[in-house]
Amino acid sequence: MKQRPPVLQGLLVALFVAYMILPIIATYTFSIATKWDITLMPEGYTLEWYQTAFDHPYFSITLTNSFIVSIAAVLVGLLFIVPTTYWVHTRVPAAKPLLDLLMILPFGIPAVVLALALIRVYAFPPFARSPFLLISACVIFSMPFMYRPISNSLMAIDVHTLTESALSLGANTLQILIRVIAPNILPGILSGSLLVFATVFAEFTLANLITGASFKTFPILLVEFTRRDGRIAAALSVISFTVAWFASIAILWVSGRGRKPTEEALGAR
Amino acid sequence: MAYLELKNVSKLFGPVAAVKDFHFAVAKGAFVSLLGPSGCGKTTTLRMIAGFEMPDAGAITLDGTDITSVPPNRRGTGMVFQAYALFPNMNVRDNVAFGLEVTGHPKQEIEGRVREMLALVRLDDTAKRFPHQLSGGQQQRIALARALAIRPRVLLLDEPLSALDAVVRVALRGEIRRIQLELGITTVYVTHDQEEALSISDRVVVMNQGLIEQAGTPEEIYRQPKTRFVAAFIGTANQLNGVVVDRTQVRFGETMLRAPVPSGLKESSKVVVLVRPESIAIHAAAPTDAHNVLEGTIQTITFLGPITRLGVDIGGTRVVADMAASSRAAFTHTQHVWLSFPPDACQVMAEK
Ligand SMILES: Nc1ncnc2c1ncn2[C@@H]1O[C@H](COP(=O)(O)OP(=O)(O)O)[C@@H](O)[C@H]1O
Ligand SMILES: [Mg+2]
Repeated sequence: MKQRPPVLQGLLVALFVAYMILPIIATYTFSIATKWDITLMPEGYTLEWYQTAFDHPYFSITLTNSFIVSIAAVLVGLLFIVPTTYWVHTRVPAAKPLLDLLMILPFGIPAVVLALALIRVYAFPPFARSPFLLISACVIFSMPFMYRPISNSLMAIDVHTLTESALSLGANTLQILIRVIAPNILPGILSGSLLVFATVFAEFTLANLITGASFKTFPILLVEFTRRDGRIAAALSVISFTVAWFASIAILWVSGRGRKPTEEALGAR
Repeated sequence: MAYLELKNVSKLFGPVAAVKDFHFAVAKGAFVSLLGPSGCGKTTTLRMIAGFEMPDAGAITLDGTDITSVPPNRRGTGMVFQAYALFPNMNVRDNVAFGLEVTGHPKQEIEGRVREMLALVRLDDTAKRFPHQLSGGQQQRIALARALAIRPRVLLLDEPLSALDAVVRVALRGEIRRIQLELGITTVYVTHDQEEALSISDRVVVMNQGLIEQAGTPEEIYRQPKTRFVAAFIGTANQLNGVVVDRTQVRFGETMLRAPVPSGLKESSKVVVLVRPESIAIHAAAPTDAHNVLEGTIQTITFLGPITRLGVDIGGTRVVADMAASSRAAFTHTQHVWLSFPPDACQVMAEK
């Protein structure tokens, strides 16, 4: 690889960091600004917008709803993706390219189309416009994020030998999945879960179209505030960031406890 | 007494027959090796015994019952793989206990068995360690302990030593044999290393292209190879192409060789005379009282430790002969020498 001159390299890094960090800093600043329109820096600082957000009757409802949808999407996704991917890897490896292709499809379908199609097909109870339908839609929508890390983790371990060892020791398929395969693809499961959680937590289109006012999620509330006051919306964004970060930290903490035997072992190969 | 029996078992992979009409019985408590070059169907045979492959024809019986369609997790066969088969997420204790835990053995019994198995493989102090903290040889010993912990009816090993370095390999194969004898467990061992197979087995099955070439004790396989393939695959054997003259003589070029010709071979039929290098004596001058004397020039001299192997050109045919390192005789490159070997060191078989 060609070595770039250090100055240019530093500049590129600085530009990238600015591109990623500046909007976040601006959002944080805006959420505590009294007035910030014609001046370079805000004219004063306040926590009023957070107060307004917290006091809003829908604040805790939408936050709870978003947690319900995100966690449910993670769990349902795991329940579908882990056994399916494992099954294809061990029993029908020839079908893996097909599965790879299927798992990219959600990227090709715009959320609006997905939502409207699901609303029409599942127009009957208990699905019609229900949180169940929203969760199902979010599972489909976020499937690629769950599938890829899990599939990669399965490729990194010797699934066949591990499965056959466990079989010869008398284990059944469920025992193999839970006690042997899952712990060894834990890094994939965790990063998949994190990606799905973050994606679904911030998802607006599906929630707005499928459940809308009957089951408001946090991003819906955020968008409503954008129309009223950008500073309150900024405060809500900051809270949303914070949730995502806490989720990451929680998952990293869990994986840190499980990592000793798993990742080190994989790394040692 | 047949304990494990493979009855005319065949396995096809598409058009390729990996194993053809395999018919063999293993006595209870015996150590049998499947030996052959890579791709000859050893692993496939072993996997059919373990239940990972379904035979396309034939049947497998264990202790009198047909197990051909019994799933692998109900067969009670312990398996040791080539490498990387320990569960990386579990420590040694959990690996060894796994088979007992998933089949619901009482805790008390599991702890006792784990300790017993770790003592058996002489790794008592590793219970808390994880697989990646063990050497390759230690990992394979734990894999053995794990397979034996479930008290399997048959122990299956698929080239368990091939990923290890030479010194560990030799030490560990002795360990495997010791443990096998100690437990009296019926064992099928797959290897492509003939020295390994001969040194630890009660019986050896030599395979080639999915077929059994010969089955017998290590001595039989070595001393009386039934086919040219076995002769060439086991140890080193010189193959002299000749023509049958009568029941005791074969003409090799200009030389008459004295050798016992089996009754199946007709006069003037083309044959191969097999002679092991260790049966050949080397002389600096023409011997007067020896049989089967061949004259030639030394091409190569290879020092192999306990022996020195000479490659001698006999009118275009290369013959190798071994000389004990303790021998005082000194030979040099391109030296003219005479080789001799007794008639009973020869084995005559049809050329095709
Ligand atoms: N799963 C499989 N699919 C297709 N061919 C296979 C499969 N397993 C083995 N074979 C073929 O069967 C033959 C025997 O293989 P194997 O039993 O692994 O030989 P060995 O263990 O003696 O090296 C080889 O030609 C191999 O390519
Ligand atoms: Mg093999």
